[in-house]
Amino acid sequence: MTTEGIRLGQPGISLPVGTPTGEVDEVDLVPVQTYWQLVRRRFLQNRLAVIAFVLMIVLVVASIAFPILGGNLWFTTSLTHGPTDPVSLAAPLGYDNDGINIFFRLMRGLQTSLSIGFFAVLIIAGIGTAVGSVAGYAGGRIDNLLMRLVDIVLSLPGLFLVLMFVAFLGSGSALVIIFAIGLTGWTTAARLVRAEFLRLRESDFVQAAKALGASDSRIVIRHMIPSALAPVVVASTLGIADAVVTEAALSFLGLGLLPPEASLGNMLTHAQDYFYRQPLWIYYPGIMLILVVLAASFLGDGLRDALDPRQRIEA
Amino acid sequence: MQTTAVNTIAPAPTPARAANPDELLDIEGLKTYFATANGLVKAVDGVSLQIRQARTLGVVGESGSGKSITALSVMRLIERPGRIVAGQVRFAGQDILKLKDDDMREIRGNQISMIFQEPMTSLNPVFTCGDQIAEAVLRHRGGSKKAAMLRAVDMLSQVGIPDPKRRAKQYPHELSGGMRQRVMIAMALSTNPELLIADEPTTALDVTIQAQILELMKALREQNRMAIMLITHDLGVVAEMSDDVTVMYAGKVVEATDALTLFDTPHNPYTKGLLASIPRLGEHRERLEVIKGVVPNPLNLPSGCLFKRRCPYAMPICDVAPPLRQIGENHVSRCWLTPDGGKPEIGEAPLKAEAEASSASLTVEAR
Amino acid sequence: MASYTIRRLIQAIPIVIGISVISFAIVYLTPGNFVDKFRTGRVSEATIQNLIHVYGLDQPLPVQFWKWFTNFWTFPVNNLAWGFSFTDGQPVRDLIFARIPATLLLMGTSLLVTIVLAIPIGIMQAVKQYSWADKIITTLETIGYAMPTFWLGLILKQLFSVQLKLFPLYGMQTLGKHGDIPDILAHLVLPVTTLAVIQVAGWSRYMRASMLEVMRQDFIRTARSKGLASSQVIRKHALRNALIPIVTLLGLTIPSLLSGAAITETVFSWPGLGYLGVTSVIERDYPVVLAVVMIGGVMVILGNLLADIAYAVVDPRIHY
Repeated sequence: MTTEGIRLGQPGISLPVGTPTGEVDEVDLVPVQTYWQLVRRRFLQNRLAVIAFVLMIVLVVASIAFPILGGNLWFTTSLTHGPTDPVSLAAPLGYDNDGINIFFRLMRGLQTSLSIGFFAVLIIAGIGTAVGSVAGYAGGRIDNLLMRLVDIVLSLPGLFLVLMFVAFLGSGSALVIIFAIGLTGWTTAARLVRAEFLRLRESDFVQAAKALGASDSRIVIRHMIPSALAPVVVASTLGIADAVVTEAALSFLGLGLLPPEASLGNMLTHAQDYFYRQPLWIYYPGIMLILVVLAASFLGDGLRDALDPRQRIEA
Repeated sequence: MQTTAVNTIAPAPTPARAANPDELLDIEGLKTYFATANGLVKAVDGVSLQIRQARTLGVVGESGSGKSITALSVMRLIERPGRIVAGQVRFAGQDILKLKDDDMREIRGNQISMIFQEPMTSLNPVFTCGDQIAEAVLRHRGGSKKAAMLRAVDMLSQVGIPDPKRRAKQYPHELSGGMRQRVMIAMALSTNPELLIADEPTTALDVTIQAQILELMKALREQNRMAIMLITHDLGVVAEMSDDVTVMYAGKVVEATDALTLFDTPHNPYTKGLLASIPRLGEHRERLEVIKGVVPNPLNLPSGCLFKRRCPYAMPICDVAPPLRQIGENHVSRCWLTPDGGKPEIGEAPLKAEAEASSASLTVEAR
Repeated sequence: MASYTIRRLIQAIPIVIGISVISFAIVYLTPGNFVDKFRTGRVSEATIQNLIHVYGLDQPLPVQFWKWFTNFWTFPVNNLAWGFSFTDGQPVRDLIFARIPATLLLMGTSLLVTIVLAIPIGIMQAVKQYSWADKIITTLETIGYAMPTFWLGLILKQLFSVQLKLFPLYGMQTLGKHGDIPDILAHLVLPVTTLAVIQVAGWSRYMRASMLEVMRQDFIRTARSKGLASSQVIRKHALRNALIPIVTLLGLTIPSLLSGAAITETVFSWPGLGYLGVTSVIERDYPVVLAVVMIGGVMVILGNLLADIAYAVVDPRIHY
């Protein structure tokens, strides 16, 4: 039996204890909100998270809009423009030594980095949820086996794994990079999902669903995964930061995307060659990276705080 | 068995002068408010109570009535976002709300000790039981570590823990809940306080252990001539232990008298409701008595009497908040009903005047 | 405790086997043959076939794996246990052992700096929560933590090495000054700063969170109710509990002692194990890669075990 606006088994509902069935004065009751309304309210109260959210939107929109606006500008070399050109509206960051418009190249790099990060995280979330839910729900030997697998993958030095993947299977390919990051990074998500599933398995509403005769897959998909998604969403958001930095590191080392492809990482490599004469060039891609990481981190933290029903006390 | 170590620990020195030497603790008009994200919570809103030497006061109320906060206010352990905004707390004549932090710390754990509700989490898990007791002794009596440890072991045996020397070297998680509470009592009593504040000491324990702890407390208060402020929601515990009782509701005192009178002739409808809701053996009933309604949301308090929406005697006059009124010689109640429980005959105006006069006298600014 | 350790070590064996298999697979199953490197046109096919035979590459994979695996663990006494480097023909074990001290120096120093700075900062932030200092430091921490290591390294190099000419640009020692301690220290400053900034940012946040968590506990209230001074409550009661997760963190950092600074070492050309790993991947020097990955994996397992043991030592509630 559900009461309108309340779902069984969720945290954060503040119905007073001991409400008798007689008449109850409305003035005395705290207004009831659904779980998601509470989550949204908590999120919006967190100024930092909201700023991060806005920043993320800005970055994503910029990474889509500017490359479209700029067309080929991000790789079009020019003999007439160079590093000595003053900053202008058409080229807010000037031109590099090949005459390429730095701003548009930066935006293109942002787009590449963000997309790689996003897809890599998608793979992480997918594999992680699949492995974690099976392990958490099935328990026993399957769980043991899968957790051993997680332990093994976790023990391998992550960066080297990614390096090896990319170097041996083909550097310069965005697809390989996405898979490399995805296949090495799913372990944390799997653990989180497994933990949620272990907890949920014993919870009342799952028992109730079982008692009503629901099949295993129905229970898992309709009831447990939505609850378990919360930590996955948080981990994924934070994972975007990680993935973007990893991709940048790869490109920086020459194993990721190579010019003329633009990535924040290889822009840094390029800037490194010129940092005697053009000290500013390392700052552009670097600050972009930092902004992405900050936005993703605060957004992830904000989501985690909003989804976790613990109370916050104002200063 | 008393060892010589006990005799070397003197009782706490009493402060120089006491206004009323009989009254050990005198709380007057205490107000402790909390500035939360959702609004101002008046957890304690003008509470006054007195405890005399070696007497036990039971403070009764449901969760959220403000009784724990009152106790923490006396100890000055209120932390942000809470603040004591008004009132006086006189201990042996001295207003301890006005003391400097250093001076308050001399009293805390020394002349006034406190034990808490959750023995499971109230002891530090990384230090041994003996260590934690000895720490209190060292802090307030000085001396050597060995002497403090001896005192700790002695206290452990006083609270009825078998094999105290071994237990003193154990960590809290190695002891059961009941034993941990005994350790807490030992710790609180190790400095021979004049006042022990016990915040729901038995709520987290099962009934048999509860009985043992209460027996222990009775024995110790007898032995040490100690006053106790016993906070609980369990009227059975109150009946067992208290000389006097104060009933609290929604941050205010609603009734105060001695224990016998309270159980015999309660006046306030809330108290009556509480007493009526206790099932008694041998009674023949179809339904349990409950107090209709719910405790008001502290962020959304009704005007006038806070209990009016749940009160079977509610009258129009209840829209004016009743002050604490003298009902008998040692009996006050916050209600408009006459001392014998009838509806007041006098008109609204005199009652309103009484309300205003009383609320004026209760406003005492503290710090 | 001893039995627990032994049990864990035994449990670790399948994991070690697992990482061996995976590492081996990644390296040996890559497209292209090992010896493609040597097909430079000046090498005859016969020689190549000979090489294949000598390296045992014509054997079935499981056999290759077994030979490699059993050989691997003889490294304490056998300097050929890890094969020969493709790049310069040296025994891999010697190469790696030569690099370990440099990495240890770098990681050890930055770890020390991190602990010395992060713990007091974290404590101060927790005790003075919501103060201006707390907020400013939190902002700095967040920015510091968000910085990619290689970027920070670059910036530091540019500022202090190129423009201010304060510190050397790369490497561990200047040519001709081998063993000169001040020289090594000068080279150490920038890489350690790079690592430390990010680590301190992370650790002090962790310390702050741990402290805050502890200070909310009931036993802190009990300690205060005994009349103890605030400083004593913090120093004795809170800190002792708050440090427990830090100790585990320490254990978990040990694996990265050897391979964690790969990128920083590369940026500064610091002759350590991480740098070796990165270059060997780029150069397709498979034997070295394999050895580095295995070492990394084993260190992680040992680090986890150490973290768990440390946890039991520090927290009396835990016993295995």
